[in-house]
Amino acid sequence: MPTHREPALRTIGLRKAFGDHLAVDDIHLTVPAGSFYGLVGPNGAGKTTTLAMAVGLLRPDAGSAEIFGVDVWRDTVQAKGLIGVLPDGNAMPERLTGREVLTYLGLLRGLQPAVVAERADELLQILELGSAERTLVIEYSTGMRKKIGLAVALLHAPRLLVLDEPFEAVDPVSAATIRTILRRFAANGGSVIISSHVMALVEQLCDHVGVISDGRVVAAGPLADVRGAGSLEDAFVDLVGARTGGTEGLAWLTS
Amino acid sequence: MAHLLTSGPVAAQHMIRMRLAIMRNSLRGDNAANLYAGVSGGLLLAFGTIAVAVLWPAYLPLTLAVWLSGWIFGPIFIGGGSEALRPEYFSMLPATPGRITTALLAGASAGPAPAVNLIALLSLPVYGWRFGPAGVLIGLAAALTTLITMVMVSRVIVALIGLFVRSRVTAAAVGIVTGTAIALCSNGWAPVAALGGTDTAAWSQILVRVLPSGWGVAAIEAPWPLALAVLAANAGVIALLLAAWAGLLARRVVSAARGGVPSRRGTPRPFPTTGGARIAAAKELRAWWRDLVRIQLLATAFSYAIVTPLLLLALDAWIMVPFTGLIAIVMAAASSANLYGADGTALWLTLMTPGAERADVRGRQLAWLLVVGPAAALLSLAGTRVSGQAWAWPWVLGLLPALLGGGAGLIVLLAVTSLVPGTDPHKRGGNPLSTGADETAETSLAWLVLVAVPATALPAAGVILLNPWAGIITGVLTGALSAWGLGRIAYRRLESHGIDLLNLMKHGPAPQADKPTTADLPIQHRIGVTMSYAIAWLPLFPQGLVPMVMKILGIEDRGWFLALHLPPVWQWPTIIFMIALGLLMYGYAILIPMRLSSPSPAATR
Repeated sequence: MPTHREPALRTIGLRKAFGDHLAVDDIHLTVPAGSFYGLVGPNGAGKTTTLAMAVGLLRPDAGSAEIFGVDVWRDTVQAKGLIGVLPDGNAMPERLTGREVLTYLGLLRGLQPAVVAERADELLQILELGSAERTLVIEYSTGMRKKIGLAVALLHAPRLLVLDEPFEAVDPVSAATIRTILRRFAANGGSVIISSHVMALVEQLCDHVGVISDGRVVAAGPLADVRGAGSLEDAFVDLVGARTGGTEGLAWLTS
Repeated sequence: MAHLLTSGPVAAQHMIRMRLAIMRNSLRGDNAANLYAGVSGGLLLAFGTIAVAVLWPAYLPLTLAVWLSGWIFGPIFIGGGSEALRPEYFSMLPATPGRITTALLAGASAGPAPAVNLIALLSLPVYGWRFGPAGVLIGLAAALTTLITMVMVSRVIVALIGLFVRSRVTAAAVGIVTGTAIALCSNGWAPVAALGGTDTAAWSQILVRVLPSGWGVAAIEAPWPLALAVLAANAGVIALLLAAWAGLLARRVVSAARGGVPSRRGTPRPFPTTGGARIAAAKELRAWWRDLVRIQLLATAFSYAIVTPLLLLALDAWIMVPFTGLIAIVMAAASSANLYGADGTALWLTLMTPGAERADVRGRQLAWLLVVGPAAALLSLAGTRVSGQAWAWPWVLGLLPALLGGGAGLIVLLAVTSLVPGTDPHKRGGNPLSTGADETAETSLAWLVLVAVPATALPAAGVILLNPWAGIITGVLTGALSAWGLGRIAYRRLESHGIDLLNLMKHGPAPQADKPTTADLPIQHRIGVTMSYAIAWLPLFPQGLVPMVMKILGIEDRGWFLALHLPPVWQWPTIIFMIALGLLMYGYAILIPMRLSSPSPAATR
């Protein structure tokens, strides 16, 4: 029986190859319950692939994932009831309005009609999607798509939020709103995982960090342990073994 | 300006290289097989056209008109044509629309379809042979101008659809034109026959020469000066089409069209406050009403079903009228077979909602029945009554529920078992009627439905033959059973394989290491296989089977058939040798790649 002391998310040896390319190679991560966890890594490091396997959207070649002790791939239905997910780049029911999406998904999840209506109202208002009442999702801007995706993830009041790049393409005001919502959610016992490559944001929001590079975990743990004395950005550049380029070549551009 | 695009011919060259590179990169696995199959089929038709020019020259303009109609309706049937080079890619280039369009035309001509069509158009110089060397020369020139005209007509139509299909009315109009065209293709002979058979020869001969496809024939038959004038006029038409295309593309790349969203008035109707399958059906009904692709496909299905029986009325044959609604059901099922593929990765929401798979499948079935059922039932009842074909009543009443249930069951089953991935709706480009799916695969899925849905009504049909009333009951029972049972298999499958479907749509088919493609063959075999696919038809069909048929039928015309020019003693051996050679080449082309997939790849080296 899952208890609150179980970690919000634990992945054990996740592995995924696309053709010859090993996108994720033996990922072990533990996200403590009640933590605000930042998953960082360079482009193509395997963050999105890892999260997709952890929530049950991509079947791993090897390894497993548990959400509050529930095996994602064995007790799929129970696990999915515990989480709210914002995947990267997945489509929505394109020909519904934002309110229709929330209503449809809420009712489909078995929420009471009155509850769905109330929550949809509040979410649309807080995320400033209420004015786009007649706009179909297919006509949304990238930022609006992120926000309606976030609303979908929050709608059923999950215990764990898994958000892939939640702040990408979102305007500063909405980003501040989302940060506040997530902080409140975490402060009240909820667990959050976000992936990002904006170090300052992760430093500001998260209390735990995992660094992924080339499909492997190169560092993980409480923020203070991972970043040490310097900034997270310095630690990150150090960890992924990359030197910052840009000082050489391109003579034709600067002459 | 410092950054002008390279000169026209160079840009065209780059465009052709880009087009070929795209084709080369997509030549893997099934795509390669599809392409080879398509090219082989096309080459057969192309050779058939040349054979027409040799054997039945009177029908050459008509045959070429069929090729033209392929270029016109092909893009409509398969959802906007495959645009390997989309104008959006080049919208940031510093060049005039005219220059980009010319380069795009070069790119568009560098595909397998134009190449095959060029072979077909070589029928023009072959036809010109009858008129002497000048005829051959004009035929060659006309083959080129006709090819470019056909490609351009096709592109302009795609561009027009992309730009103007922005409302339900225009989408339905395209659907009605398409459905009528298919109906004319299958039953258009009826009104022609009714209008007086051979008497129509004169005007039909003029008609097929007035069409752009017939200008080449007209030029060959005309005296010198007139022939040159026809060719010049054709060049002028090409220039006009090019200008029109440039204008349309320039508008397309700056118009922010996303997947074709019809305009709406007022606030949306509130969702019903219910759960399960009914809420999924409510969502799906909105998609039917708001998605122009679906509206167009439905209009195609129903207009085909209505026009086909009407054409037969020209011969006073009422026999098909009672079955209008049944035809509509089968056609509508065929155009709904890729429901999950059309929605793209939105499937993740169903998968992430505990237990939603069943509701989703049942909801889609319910919505499809609500969209197709009432109209089909109305057409069936009205058609049977109006036609006065009393014998048809048990057939219509028995087959209607059987086909409706069979359709509702099969579309969801095939949607989850034979999903054809497309572009996610919000990433679709300037063409609102294109789903971005692989058209060959989508078309074969539609054909599968066209065969499978009637098959579900076979039990009912069998019982109707024995006892009409028992047949009606059987129809209701098998229909309900199909919808329930096939839907059950579908949602079970969605529950167990939903993730795989999602990733098929997100990442494409998983590469199968144990299934090598032609591209992995050693180079000499790769060349050999490609060459065999390209030319094996030559000995097999034109030099083998066709002279064989001609010899059996005793046709004297020798044409370009090698065997028929030889002394009689050598004719049969030559024919048999040619057939054997063709079969051998096909066998090599098919077997060598298969041998590669055997456990010891070294064997092929």
